[in-house]
Amino acid sequence: MSKLKYFVQQSWLLLVSSFFFGLLIAVTNGALSGRIEQNRIAKLNALTKALLPDAERFQPLDTDIEVQLPDGSKEKATIFEAFSGDGQRIGFSFNARGTGFTGPIELVVAVDKDFQKLMGFSVLASSETPGFGDQIKSDYYRRQFINAPADKLMLVKTGSAAAVDSQIVAITGATVSSQAVVNIVNTFVTQIRDQMQKKGLIGNVGQ
Amino acid sequence: MSASNGSISSPYSVALFSGLWRENPTFRLLIGLCPPLAVTSAVKPALTMGLSVIFVLVCSNLVVSLMRNLLRPHLRIIMFTVTIATFVTICDLFLKAYQPQMSEILGAYVPLIIVNCLIIFRAEARASKSGPLISILDGIGMGAGFTIALCILAGVREILATGHVFDIQVMPKAFVPWLAMQMPVGAFITLGLILGLINVLTRKKES
Repeated sequence: MSKLKYFVQQSWLLLVSSFFFGLLIAVTNGALSGRIEQNRIAKLNALTKALLPDAERFQPLDTDIEVQLPDGSKEKATIFEAFSGDGQRIGFSFNARGTGFTGPIELVVAVDKDFQKLMGFSVLASSETPGFGDQIKSDYYRRQFINAPADKLMLVKTGSAAAVDSQIVAITGATVSSQAVVNIVNTFVTQIRDQMQKKGLIGNVGQ
Repeated sequence: MSASNGSISSPYSVALFSGLWRENPTFRLLIGLCPPLAVTSAVKPALTMGLSVIFVLVCSNLVVSLMRNLLRPHLRIIMFTVTIATFVTICDLFLKAYQPQMSEILGAYVPLIIVNCLIIFRAEARASKSGPLISILDGIGMGAGFTIALCILAGVREILATGHVFDIQVMPKAFVPWLAMQMPVGAFITLGLILGLINVLTRKKES
């Protein structure tokens, strides 16, 4: 009993203030969490809308599609269906991630409504080297993915960046970052496409 | 640590002004050096970080000062940490809600303010020994000194790395950006040179 008394005597300030600090954080979080969530959605929408300019509305796709990452782990994919103003499905977008040169890379990838060709990608988060690897955000590199076939892409060192094909020309001095983006796109696009075809969500046109 | 030279003598002005130059945390005391090295690649994130630190420092100094007579010596560090962590979490939530872009750039470095030794040092050296008013002034002064130091570092690095500050072009068009300044190496070199310069200046002043 005296032990308990000693314990309380020593630590009552910590216990009381922890309670109040916790309360303070909870109130702040309650007041701001809606806005934070809105910011996140707004950013994702803005990025996706840049890839699918005709899209008016995005709706999360209600299916269980898991993507197996190169490290063996599995991740549930969050896929959005994009609709135009008159209710036509015009494409899909999904988040994709993988490992770059200096850390994780997170992308938003958009494809057309039949999963036939890519509509492009945007970088959500990355920490690639400034001036080299971070050029994966440049229009020069990203344009190569627009209208490229939604199938296995290949990274090449030389070639025409303007040609619309499955060959992506690497960024000079940033082969690893370029390859990382190509790998992420390949991993997610092919696996999501195959599983969506199996589930009958999209046609088997290309097969 | 006390004011011995005539011009500043009142304890309040000492508390407010000593952090700006004589005890500048970054340039004179060399404490809390993680943000000066990590978030000074551009002025805007540096300024955001500085203002966040001022907020946390003032709040934690005030709270620690108010509870200074209740502190148990062997539990004081954990009390400081709990207090600081609370205000850092609140600050982090505010940034996420109202400055999502800055919050993304600063990333993990905002939560890391919790372990910034500048703040725990002020709690230990000043707030746990003085009244609330002096503690607040001390927080403002130290925080401002820290913010100014961050902005000087960031200004030099941003100008040399990109040729502009706050999106305003300051270097002639022919200027070739020094990309290295944007990388960690730029932070170390700039900080080292500024410290050297300040040492030379103070030595001249003393002799």
